[in-house]
Amino acid sequence: MAGTEEFVEADNAEAIINRIEQKSRKMESLLKQYRTVEALKTALEGSPLNPKDDRCKSANWIMVHRAIMAIKDVDAMFSSLDPECCDILMKYLYRGLSTGDRPTCDQSLRIHEKLTERVGSGCILRYLADIVNTV
Amino acid sequence: MSNSLRLYLACIRNTLDAALCLQNFPCQEVERHNKPEVELKTSSELLLNPVLICRNEAEKCLIETSINSLRISLKVKQADELENILTKKFLRFLSMRAEAFQVLRRKPVQGYDISFLVTNYHCEEMQKHKLIDFIVQFMEDIDKEISELKMSVNTRGRLVATEFLKQFM
Repeated sequence: MAGTEEFVEADNAEAIINRIEQKSRKMESLLKQYRTVEALKTALEGSPLNPKDDRCKSANWIMVHRAIMAIKDVDAMFSSLDPECCDILMKYLYRGLSTGDRPTCDQSLRIHEKLTERVGSGCILRYLADIVNTV
Repeated sequence: MSNSLRLYLACIRNTLDAALCLQNFPCQEVERHNKPEVELKTSSELLLNPVLICRNEAEKCLIETSINSLRISLKVKQADELENILTKKFLRFLSMRAEAFQVLRRKPVQGYDISFLVTNYHCEEMQKHKLIDFIVQFMEDIDKEISELKMSVNTRGRLVATEFLKQFM
């Protein structure tokens, strides 16, 4: 029983990684066209939130990281992000802040300030309280 | 104040604003005991996600929350050996007098320079926004203090060396 469950999960992980690769190709093309906001939206949608596979999370994080670093105009971004995307973005921002890499932290701090002004501290509290769906 | 410092402090202030929601919670294991859960970490349902906010490779801030207590650990920027020693001595001086500060922890968490422990009792006695103001102000002032100390050490060293070497002229 446990063996088949593991097999099913590995299958799901492969499927998720394939999906992430497809998303990243789509995102690269959007970035080439300088449509950074849409690139970020594509990267955030369908993020793997289950705490199962670290590889899926790292793969998705690399993609979202690229999209975040490509953003130049922060204010224009918020008009098109829905609340769920904002929550997921906040989780990725905190992951970026924990890396300690200077450009990532600078960019994350910039976006964090604007996002908090826009969405409020409820978003931060949802990140703190959500122990199940981590990024 | 440089922009990156301002953003770093703003991020910490916003996170503390959200995280400082503490209530009284008696210990679940031992009756009639009341302990800060963030220190003991016995029950995972009482703990929230810890948050690590890094400004760069050298400076970071770890905020751990639980239902009745919050722990903030800071790592201060130390550019050279002299600043290293000065920071250690200065923060040790403060930590030894932790009772006067009430929210200061006697020993910093492993890997950090100084730690604060805020419990629900502190939140009941003192105002939440004032506590946050205190911590952010502390972070701003630490940098100034350390650079002042470094400058005074260098000035004193230069004066002493000049006086001493005059006798050989």
